[in-house]
Amino acid sequence: MTAVDIRPRAPVSAPSTTPLIAFDRVDLTLGGRKILEGIDLTIGQGEFVCVVGPSGCGKTTMLRLIAGLFQPSAGRVTYQGKPIAKPRQDIAIVFQDYGKALLPWRTVSGNVALALEAIGIPKAQHGDRIGGLLAKVGLAKHADKYPNQLSGGMQQRLQIARCLAQEPAVLLMDEPFGALDAMTRQGLQDEVLDIVGQSGATVFFVTHDLEEAIYLGDRVIGLLPNPGRVAESFPVGLVRPRDQLATREEPEFLRLRRVLFDFIKAAEA
Amino acid sequence: MTVARLAWFAGSLVVGALIILGWQWIADAKLVSPVFLPGPDRAWAALVRGFASGTLEEKLFGTVERMVYGWLLASLVGIALGAVIGISAVARAYLAPMLEFLRPLPASAIIPVAIALLGLSEGMVLAVIAFGALWPMLLATIHGFAAVEPRLYEVSRALGLSRWSVIWKIALPSALPDILSGMRLGLTIALILAVVGEMLASRDGLGLWILLAARSFRAPDLFAGVIVLGLLGFVSAMILTVVEHRLLRWRATR
Ligand SMILES: Nc1ncnc2c1ncn2[C@@H]1O[C@H](COP(=O)(O)OP(=O)(O)OP(=O)(O)O)[C@@H](O)[C@H]1O
Ligand SMILES: [Mg+2]
Repeated sequence: MTAVDIRPRAPVSAPSTTPLIAFDRVDLTLGGRKILEGIDLTIGQGEFVCVVGPSGCGKTTMLRLIAGLFQPSAGRVTYQGKPIAKPRQDIAIVFQDYGKALLPWRTVSGNVALALEAIGIPKAQHGDRIGGLLAKVGLAKHADKYPNQLSGGMQQRLQIARCLAQEPAVLLMDEPFGALDAMTRQGLQDEVLDIVGQSGATVFFVTHDLEEAIYLGDRVIGLLPNPGRVAESFPVGLVRPRDQLATREEPEFLRLRRVLFDFIKAAEA
Repeated sequence: MTVARLAWFAGSLVVGALIILGWQWIADAKLVSPVFLPGPDRAWAALVRGFASGTLEEKLFGTVERMVYGWLLASLVGIALGAVIGISAVARAYLAPMLEFLRPLPASAIIPVAIALLGLSEGMVLAVIAFGALWPMLLATIHGFAAVEPRLYEVSRALGLSRWSVIWKIALPSALPDILSGMRLGLTIALILAVVGEMLASRDGLGLWILLAARSFRAPDLFAGVIVLGLLGFVSAMILTVVEHRLLRWRATR
């Protein structure tokens, strides 16, 4: 498909750009059990990679390897060619359990400020920056509320705002919308696409929702369990910007949905 | 909400008034010898007299000073030590058994030891208060620091917070509710031990005043002292409640 209104980002497939993150024959053993085996995967700069697979196949574990929260037992996980020895400020993580990832004793602005404090932004600049970030995720009116006064969707927006405050080159998202209702979810999907489109960030996005994976991704990676390994890579040939109605009705979308559905069914069997 | 609170308040006032009335009635009927039980009228008169002459005020101040210093000392040591122990699983594993052994030890049990070491001095009283008030704060702080949501430590790592920031901005605020409830318990213990310490070491304060009043059969003075002590406990707990509400504002806003 050739589209007319193409965005600066490449619409299609695989590492068409420079490689940014690479798994190089990665094994991971935790508690004596092999969780991941022989993972080989290259993620290009600015690519939006979605990961699907049956529960317990190691999606979160892969994400934590990129985050630097786990170290491989064998092989290497590299960022710009260098092994990821520990968490880095330019790799941000959006956790699924937003309730636990926010500081309940800090207001919405205070939670965003935490990231600014961490990177050493002078206090004088906090106000403007926080204002801008909250506006971007639609929380401008709630700056002085505490997390427990926000809905789930708003809390997840806040977590995203805090991650954006890091000005990350990479966003790791672990089923970020899993706990949200369908409407909120779609709204946030589009917000994330917007934000990523503007910042050019690279995204590693774990999800259970196959349609979400197709809708968001440049590529969908399918994992198989026991031990976790990369089974297939499905390039998504859908133009950007994507549209909740039109995109989901495209033949390519429907074709991918069928292929992924079959994949998951086979993987879970 | 406010109506219900007003009703509660009015109710407790009524109960208080009934108790005082009952007390007056028992005293008037001389069910208990007036040598031991003065009526509220005589207790009140003694109270007014005590404050008018400035003696009661002085005793009150002595007790408050002792209680607060001992409590602050215990808070400082308890929170610092509790933070160090609570944050490290290794330290907890090594120290927990010893703490469990020391904890149930009533503070009064160490008074003889304290007297042997420090004599019947102000320092001895302070040490006993601090020792007794230390435990609830130490244990609450350890628990608070050990119970920090692990996810928040991962968030800190991902954000690249310094070690010091993690303690100051994540662990301490997260443990604060536990710490404050420990401090509240500690304050009660500090008051009790201040009084006991004064009685034992003859340090000037409400405890000694009560003891001397009892020995010389000045029952109204004794009751006046007890009333002031009760008020002291009440007011200090109120102050802590206010502080707690301010510091834990985020919890109330549901
Ligand atoms: N810290 C750990 N120690 C031991 N085993 C672990 C650890 N973390 C995860 N595992 C195991 O590794 C396997 C993969 O876990 P992981 O969380 O990566 O799966 P997942 O694909 O994210 O699953 P889900 O879709 O349910 O989130 C699971 O069997 C899990 O029990
Ligand atoms: Mg997972």
